[in-house]
Amino acid sequence: MGQVSLQGIRKNYAEVSVIKGIDLEVQDGEFMVFVGPSGCGKSTLLRMIAGLESISGGELRIDGVRANELRPADRGAAMVFQSYALYPHMTVAENMGFALKMAGVPKQQRAAQVGRAAEVLHIVELLARYPKELSGGQRQRVAIGRAIVRKPAVFLFDEPLSNLDAALRVSMRTELSRLHKELATTMIYVTHDQVEALTLGNRIAVFNQGHIEQLGAPMDLYHRPANEFVANFIGMPNINLIDRPDSASAAHLALWEALQGSATVQRIGLRPEHLHLAGQGIPALVVLAEHLGDSSILHLQVEGVNGLLKAKVVAGQCITGQMVCIAPDASRVLRYDVDGRLMESGGNS
Amino acid sequence: MKLLNRQTEQLSSWAAYLLVGTGALLMLAPFYFMFVFATHSRTEIFSLPPPLFIGDDFLANLEILTSRMPFWRNLGWSLYVAIASTALTLLFCSMGGYAFAMFQFRFKNMLFALVMATMLLPSFMNMIPTFMIMDMLGWIDQPRALYIPGAASAFGIFLMRQSVAATIPKDLIEAARMDGCGEFSIYLRIVLPLLRPALGTLGLITFIASWNNFIGPLIVMRTPEMYTLPLALRSLQSPVNTEWGALMTGSAIATLPLVVLFVLSSRQLISGLTTGAVK
Ligand SMILES: Nc1ncnc2c1ncn2[C@@H]1O[C@H](COP(=O)(O)OP(=O)(O)OP(=O)(O)O)[C@@H](O)[C@H]1O
Ligand SMILES: [Mg+2]
Repeated sequence: MGQVSLQGIRKNYAEVSVIKGIDLEVQDGEFMVFVGPSGCGKSTLLRMIAGLESISGGELRIDGVRANELRPADRGAAMVFQSYALYPHMTVAENMGFALKMAGVPKQQRAAQVGRAAEVLHIVELLARYPKELSGGQRQRVAIGRAIVRKPAVFLFDEPLSNLDAALRVSMRTELSRLHKELATTMIYVTHDQVEALTLGNRIAVFNQGHIEQLGAPMDLYHRPANEFVANFIGMPNINLIDRPDSASAAHLALWEALQGSATVQRIGLRPEHLHLAGQGIPALVVLAEHLGDSSILHLQVEGVNGLLKAKVVAGQCITGQMVCIAPDASRVLRYDVDGRLMESGGNS
Repeated sequence: MKLLNRQTEQLSSWAAYLLVGTGALLMLAPFYFMFVFATHSRTEIFSLPPPLFIGDDFLANLEILTSRMPFWRNLGWSLYVAIASTALTLLFCSMGGYAFAMFQFRFKNMLFALVMATMLLPSFMNMIPTFMIMDMLGWIDQPRALYIPGAASAFGIFLMRQSVAATIPKDLIEAARMDGCGEFSIYLRIVLPLLRPALGTLGLITFIASWNNFIGPLIVMRTPEMYTLPLALRSLQSPVNTEWGALMTGSAIATLPLVVLFVLSSRQLISGLTTGAVK
């Protein structure tokens, strides 16, 4: 069990509104990711679910029970902190068993549960150590172990991997995925790393300034971002956003034509991998070619278009300073209206 | 050239050792003579040259000491007051410091400023008010008049607040709250253990201050049976007939608990406990 339901959740600090009415249903067993730029309020919302931050308005239900006023420990949620927050004066085993101890679980049962969690996380041999005797990755595992031991209805993660180095982050990511499959427990995971969001989440909520811009499955978000904010936020390198031409630039007009922009379309989004090199088409200058090994990112200047366009192409096709011709894949075009909202397929009619 | 450099370097380090060594000797000499004189009679002490080594009048001195005052009783009161005031100070200052460091409440900054402001008052300004208050409470001649007034010292609260802020991350408190701790058990199970080095320091300072306190008992203690050691030993001194041997014996005995305490606690004071709390 682990259903979390948010209805009109709000948070104000004095006059400032930080969370502006969130409606969200997290299903039992789901891996929900909160992603968004820094300061958008994702940590705050997570902490409100945990009970570490009071709720200014709206209703939080966990497994159907109103939880607004429940003590953190009574909500059935366990949290993994970015800083790990291990108790330095306790061994790994004591750290992991602390919540059970506070709940009055007898010592033997406690040891058994800690042992089982340690096995799942491959940290059995660390149980007698103190946190200061562990590496960053090991501390991370212990922190997760401490959460697992409690058998919570919901796991809450606040950027748990951001203190690890790149390689460890990747391996912990797969580990977390495995753990989620094994435990089949609801997880709510805060990150500002879109790769983590896309790889881990069943569903992703993209936050911006205290509200949800879009909620959906990772590939939906990638292929059909509901608005320009999401389009811009998800995807690496960023999506190309091309303005409706107001100049008389032939290249810009030709590009707009090729993208099948119509009268009501204000801006068009095109993923870099959908912008191809072509024998003939719109002329562009390669301002910078970044070679990544299997592919190259081209930064292209098209006359009349604001900013640089990015194209992801097969590696080694061109060099910096070269003139090339480009052709967009018109079937993958995303059309946005004056308010920056995605226009349903009829944008080009 | 290089050799010369090394030689002058060595020379200067020897000079430093010599200087520090002489200083240490000068500091230790009075203590040495206190212990030596504690085992000699008054006449021996004032002979020329004075005795440099342990003598055999210790028991005689002790007898003079115990006949002139209820020495063991005074020692007992000293211990009792020092332990009580240390325990109370550690309790109240750690709670106060923790609250000031971690909680948000109304008038917090104003209250803290007020606590700090009490440190600005010169201690002699307190003498007469202290006596009047203790008299009003009927606490004259009672040990509690010594350990209650200082139980929540401003300095202690300040020290504890600083160490809480420096050694206990907020995440740790929140983790404990998630793990089911109430506010008091957070204090007891998380804050106190992590504050151990700071508590050791404050405890030591408080114990020594209470042990050496002379003015306090002078204000509130009237009958010699209730004196603490500094006051009791002072009563041995008079313009004409001071028993120096006995006085040194009493002083030597009075120093011993501090020496023991220091040896026991020095390791604790240095150890840092929080390494590895958060990355
Ligand atoms: N105690 C507070 N008082 C006032 N404003 C606060 C307080 N705590 C957070 N905020 C504000 O709330 C907003 C959301 O903060 P939050 O920590 O949730 O951001 P975040 O999305 O987690 O960002 P990051 O990715 O940097 O961690 C921020 O603009 C922050 O300034
Ligand atoms: Mg955050």
